Amino acid sequence: MPLLEVRDLTMRFGGLVANDSVSLHVDADEIVGLIGPNGAGKTTLFSCISGTLRATNGQVLLEGQDVVGQTPEEICWRGIARTFQIVRTFREMTVLENVMVGALLRASGTSQARVDAEEVLELTGLAHKRHVLGAGLTIAERKRVELARALATRPKLLMLDEVMAGLNPRERQEAIDLVRTAHARGIAILMVEHVMEVIMPISDRVVVLTNGRKLLEGRPEAVSRNEEVIKAYLGERYRAVIAEPPAC
Amino acid sequence: MTTVDQPSDSTSMPAGPGLDPTALPPERSRGRAASASRLAVGAIAALVLLGLPLVLEAQRLVHPLHILIMICLYATLAQAWNILGGYAGQISLGNAVFFGVGAYTSTLLMTRIGLSPWLGILVGMFVAVLVSLAIGYPCFRLGGHYFAIATIAVGEIVQTLFINWREVGGASGIHLPLLPEAFVNFQFHSSKLPYYYIALAMAAIAFGCAFLVERSRLGYYFRAIKGDPLAARSLGVKITRYKLYAIAISAALTAMAGTLYAQYILVIDPESVLPLSLSVLICLVAVLGGIGSIWGPLLGALVLIPLSEGTRVYLAQSGGGGRAIDLMVYGALIVLVAVFQPGGLVAISRRFRGRG
Ligand SMILES: Nc1ncnc2c1ncn2[C@@H]1O[C@H](COP(=O)(O)OP(=O)(O)OP(=O)(O)O)[C@@H](O)[C@H]1O
Ligand SMILES: [Mg+2]
Repeated sequence: MPLLEVRDLTMRFGGLVANDSVSLHVDADEIVGLIGPNGAGKTTLFSCISGTLRATNGQVLLEGQDVVGQTPEEICWRGIARTFQIVRTFREMTVLENVMVGALLRASGTSQARVDAEEVLELTGLAHKRHVLGAGLTIAERKRVELARALATRPKLLMLDEVMAGLNPRERQEAIDLVRTAHARGIAILMVEHVMEVIMPISDRVVVLTNGRKLLEGRPEAVSRNEEVIKAYLGERYRAVIAEPPAC
Repeated sequence: MTTVDQPSDSTSMPAGPGLDPTALPPERSRGRAASASRLAVGAIAALVLLGLPLVLEAQRLVHPLHILIMICLYATLAQAWNILGGYAGQISLGNAVFFGVGAYTSTLLMTRIGLSPWLGILVGMFVAVLVSLAIGYPCFRLGGHYFAIATIAVGEIVQTLFINWREVGGASGIHLPLLPEAFVNFQFHSSKLPYYYIALAMAAIAFGCAFLVERSRLGYYFRAIKGDPLAARSLGVKITRYKLYAIAISAALTAMAGTLYAQYILVIDPESVLPLSLSVLICLVAVLGGIGSIWGPLLGALVLIPLSEGTRVYLAQSGGGGRAIDLMVYGALIVLVAVFQPGGLVAISRRFRGRG
């Protein structure tokens, strides 16, 4: 049984169909990439899975149990954590306190949560920023706090919505390493990223979404060689990039 | 909340050059000096708080003692508001409801069945909690400013209800019967001093609650809800439940102060314990002092209450009639705070102490 299975999920906003009968799954030990042009419905799909939006139709099975209709807090408790594409840092709380809010989900109290949060800060390279207020962080740091907070809830599945957008190459490399570290700790990952150079080498499988529909899915090499994907999304520019096989 | 002592990494780490023990003593002694000076400040403050009223009493200065009682009362009310509005970010303009519920409950229990107001306080707090949950459950569904507006509406409804409720005195309210001066009766006629110490104890309880909240799961969750409710939910925070905790704590503390008011003034009516102006004043004290910080309510009460009592006395002596003047003064103060220092007096005092 896959960890997460989305079956025929449809999300309508009035007349607009943002997700049109999308099905996908994520196994417990996988990193799955979700790509697609702007407005394809990637963030909407994340919101439906995490309970922020209620899907119009379809099922979201977490370990075989349908979670559609459950609140975001219940779904988080069950083991799905997400980050927000447009970061939602608690501006008046320090980095440590931001992460402690996540850690408190499974900690017995604040002292336990502080220990857990410190460990996550260490892991995410934020330890030296622990006493900085959320409002005083750069966008790259906020994205990292977003990830650290989600990680602190000890999820089974981590959903990352463009955590690498706007990062410089060095920061991006650190973020990639961080995703690999989380994965190595047994967390399954579903990530949205526009940067093909990031998503292709790191993903076990890639799902392509266009106009709310799943165009195709497959191994990164297959997907990036697919003519339709190249036409619909990647553009001619990317052909050159995949000429050399991605190092994994 | 249980404290789980887990071995942290630093304890199991061998002392390397980074942990040179000789580097520690200066840090420690600086910390010790800071905590010693803090202790001294605390001791002086305690002496003043406990001793000053004795001096006032000996000099027969009744009015200043009254002002001190009012400062403690409003510090309690503002701290109760602060837990809900300052920490959890749910701006209430209806906290007078809880004040009135506390005052009426203990008073009715005393006049009808002769229950000691000390037990009446507890019943009043309990009733106020139930009322707060009944208000909070529907109103918290309204996001942002709509919650504040809804609490105004609820406050007006409750006041109108009491004005028209003949069994509890209607618009003319209830005069508390004079009972022999005794602790159990919560009545003291020869001196205001006992009222002062009770008010001080209540303020201490409210501050103790805020202190505990700040350090517990509640405090973190309240601030997360204030910061970004959607992000809080996605991190597993049951926001409706925690907002209800916040309003319940706020209501209980406010009702406690309501009983004190009733026993001190000995007359309550909808115009004195349930008006919108009281809800606004409670909010103003907290905002002026600085919301979301533990010292804000005290600072706000220290500044605003003498001012409010002063203008009231001055207006009464000069023929009175201009009750709106004090509201104009509050209004001007709020505008000043909002424009120049949204952090309130707490932020100003911090700046003077050079802590930015
Ligand atoms: N709350 C909403 N109400 C109405 N329409 C919405 C809402 N959220 C998203 N949409 C629409 O749904 C479609 C999919 O949006 P979504 O944000 O999911 O795309 P995306 O794939 O995440 O795009 P991007 O790469 O730009 O982040 C868009 O047309 C968008 O305008
Ligand atoms: Mg998006």
